[in-house]
Amino acid sequence: MEKEVPVANKIKTDLHEILDIRHLTDSTFVIRIEKKDMEFEAGQHVCVGPPNGIHTREYSIYSAEQDDYIEILVKEVENGLVSPSLKKLQKGGFVIVEEPVGYFTINKNLPADQKYVFIASGTGISPFHSFVLSKPGLNYTLLHGVKYAEEAYEANAYDSGKYVLCTSQENKGDYNGRVTEYLKKNPFGKDVHYYLCGNCNMIHDVYDILEDQGVSTDNIHAEVYF
Amino acid sequence: MKKKVGFKTLGCRLNQFETDALASRFVGLGYEVVEDSKDTDVFVVNTCTVTNQSDQKSRYVVNNALNSGHSGMLIITGCMANHHKEKLEQRYPNAYVVGNEQKSAIPQLVEAHFHKEIVPVNQNKGGVFSYAPAADTFHTRSMIKIQDGCDNYCTFCIIPKVRGRAVSRPVNEILKNIRLVIGFGYNEVVITGVNISRYKHEETNFSGLIKQIVDLDLDFRLRISSIEPDSFDDEFFELLKHPKITPHLHLCLQSASESVLLKMRRMYTYKLYKRTVDRLREIDPLFNVTTDIIVGFPEESESDFQQSIEAVKDLRFGHVHTFKYSKREDTRAARMTNIVSEKEKTRRSELLRQEARQAKLNYRQQFIGKQQQVLIDTIKDDYSKGYGEYYIPVKVNEKLAKNRLYNMQIVDIELNGEDPCLIAEVVAK
Repeated sequence: MEKEVPVANKIKTDLHEILDIRHLTDSTFVIRIEKKDMEFEAGQHVCVGPPNGIHTREYSIYSAEQDDYIEILVKEVENGLVSPSLKKLQKGGFVIVEEPVGYFTINKNLPADQKYVFIASGTGISPFHSFVLSKPGLNYTLLHGVKYAEEAYEANAYDSGKYVLCTSQENKGDYNGRVTEYLKKNPFGKDVHYYLCGNCNMIHDVYDILEDQGVSTDNIHAEVYF
Repeated sequence: MKKKVGFKTLGCRLNQFETDALASRFVGLGYEVVEDSKDTDVFVVNTCTVTNQSDQKSRYVVNNALNSGHSGMLIITGCMANHHKEKLEQRYPNAYVVGNEQKSAIPQLVEAHFHKEIVPVNQNKGGVFSYAPAADTFHTRSMIKIQDGCDNYCTFCIIPKVRGRAVSRPVNEILKNIRLVIGFGYNEVVITGVNISRYKHEETNFSGLIKQIVDLDLDFRLRISSIEPDSFDDEFFELLKHPKITPHLHLCLQSASESVLLKMRRMYTYKLYKRTVDRLREIDPLFNVTTDIIVGFPEESESDFQQSIEAVKDLRFGHVHTFKYSKREDTRAARMTNIVSEKEKTRRSELLRQEARQAKLNYRQQFIGKQQQVLIDTIKDDYSKGYGEYYIPVKVNEKLAKNRLYNMQIVDIELNGEDPCLIAEVVAK
């Protein structure tokens, strides 16, 4: 008798109830939704959209693997199709969620004491929030590039001395300037694994800086935000 | 009298594999199988939707069959059937529109149709790996499907939406399939899937699978088809030295501009790609690297484009498949601004094609004076044609046997046409 094989590999989509919404700034908020049976690896993303629409957008998961809920960090995009609708939703409402996907994850074959540098711009901090909460004891430094200090989204989640806030438009962070400038002045070495998440320009520039610092591309992992 | 089934296949090797498997199944059920719609009782169009042009070609094949008088059962399947199911059902109300998930159950659907059973198109339980090993196919090489779907989500690509999530076929089924097709008489197997380098079944990754395939105690050669360059490990490079593995990879580049690659959300840099090609050429200086390049991606500047032109020169590609960027709805790139005009895309496409044509000729000329083991797949009155280990077409001016390997001495090259053949003489039969 023929063995049972997968009938299809369709993308699974489900409605998830909104458990909570936390507004971090005027335009940025965290949506907490029920987890159901959704398993994921820190660094993966989900496509999320309003329940009555046909559009979804990719959001890296913000919460920890072991949490019994899923959180995403959303920045409202002016004239966007999805984020303004998400912002209008309320606790008790629903969102459409596709199953988690993505390869921007910590390589399990690396040693437990591996040093990581996480470099984020804006809401690109989301997968790193998930890394840090999912994997206690992670040996990391997180560089977070934003315009203003108010965009240091829930920075108390990170270990003291491991979070460097780089503010480009005001002198209220740990470093006044772009995250790229900080990296140029503060090299971390060739044996470190670098994870980059944010806009194309930041990632492009960081690649160049790390290359100048002699870092192999094998040690650089990137997730682009649009 | 035997019922006749016609097939037309568009797009990738995976579609070819699936058509071959269906055709073989129909032969087993007592049908005659042909490659067009003329005088057929059933015509199956296995469509592609990767670009607008693919959609147009797929529709043309269907329309052409109907305009030529096809009045039998019409089945539209493949990725366009997934992507535009409702539109196709409206436009072709008498056709069966069958998604990829049910494609493998098309023989049951046809049998039910001819037995006057009413079976809803999508009720038949198919399965993305439910294809029996194909004995009678349209190809000399046997394609083996190891994987389906893709989780990479490149910003230009609709395939994850139409093929679904990445799934891998169990190792033992793949090995059994290969043993069977070698038993059918195939000399070469081709590994296919949507994103084969991400193969992962239980603890076996792509390199682990390839190792088990080449360790089969059977005489065959293994060709790895289109592959993404983002997840090669050292073991894979070592395996490429194995005598069963042919020295050819279709290694998708898409652009040589780092910033365009980022906007495409490709999971490698051009530097990594170049280093991969260098490692391949360290294994074999003649290693055939062929590729796909997209021109006119949103925001692609002249400088970005020139980097792709330079890459064609530097990397000495054996073949470049040039695509003009084609907007696919429901993709991230469809929402990008600063689009490149159609006229400019056409200009860039022509320039890249010219460069690629020269690169191909330069690459192939290196084989003059060398020997190749050629698998013959075409026999004409005054010549035979096939492909050597490096996947370059080789022509010989005598009638040989199809599906046999011949050692040949390359003596010349055709200089005309888009796909210049090497000219050879048989050394040993």
